[in-house]
Amino acid sequence: MKKKILISPIIVFFLILFIFFYLLIIDRNPSELPSVLINKKVPAFEAKSLLENKTFVSPKEFKNETTIVNFFATWCKPCLDEHPYLKKLSNEKGLKIIGINYKDDSKRAIKWLEKLGNPYSNVLIDPNASLGIDWGLYGLPETFIVNSNGVIKYRLVGPITKKNYDAFVLKVTEVEK
Amino acid sequence: MQRILLTMLIYLMTSQIVTKNCYSVEPDEFLQNPKKELRARNISKNVRCLVCQNQSIDESSAPLAKDLRILIRKKIGHGNSDEEIYNFLTERYGDFILLNPPFKIGTLFLWILPFVFVAIGIFVIFLHNDKSKKLDYNK
Repeated sequence: MKKKILISPIIVFFLILFIFFYLLIIDRNPSELPSVLINKKVPAFEAKSLLENKTFVSPKEFKNETTIVNFFATWCKPCLDEHPYLKKLSNEKGLKIIGINYKDDSKRAIKWLEKLGNPYSNVLIDPNASLGIDWGLYGLPETFIVNSNGVIKYRLVGPITKKNYDAFVLKVTEVEK
Repeated sequence: MQRILLTMLIYLMTSQIVTKNCYSVEPDEFLQNPKKELRARNISKNVRCLVCQNQSIDESSAPLAKDLRILIRKKIGHGNSDEEIYNFLTERYGDFILLNPPFKIGTLFLWILPFVFVAIGIFVIFLHNDKSKKLDYNK
């Protein structure tokens, strides 16, 4: 009995070691934080539109269909890499994508969209990062999937790439289930 | 050799002192009211920079840390209490944003496990001592 008790710390040690080793080898980003906004209603906010003279009012505009919310900026290189995949989502899948232009120069953002194409149904401006903070943003780009009830179902930290595009599309179909 | 080691040790010790006193708050961020500014600094010291993750926003020069420092000062200016500010931040970023996690069901293991491990350790040491004593007597 005593022997068993004496061995237990060694077993616990190896168990912890195994967990650490497992976390080390699986495909994950250790600095990625889970969003606390998952399964919660979209934040309430008002924002100006980049391309139109309109005010966007949330959560009023997140209704009836799945909406993708994408934070981007012209100074963000991964956003540039992600752009073709956003166009693909918009053109091929017909998804409604709302872009939030984060801490950027509006003129430059307009030129950027003219040059690369505009996959967004609406582009909002966030000059002082207040929308970013409301959405719990901590890096760029970040993409959220909001279901037709205005509930945030998924967050992708980092760009949509060739590697994760299919998985992202699958997530979009899953949010309405 | 000893001299080199001593110099390295002194360098390490002093660099710690220097970095410990490094703050990233910029002059334009300061509040006019010293009491409010002190409150903002104290809150900032308890809020984690989510970009660096091992620094407080008071020490971090990351743009997000600056945005959060400005936001905290704005909220203090609007008359929000410290608790309201912490709540605002945790509602958006979770408890991880606090450098000192709160004691609640979700963080129970985090707080209790170190004590459990210490208790197990003490128990094992006592048990081992007991066993050695018995062995000594048998000799």
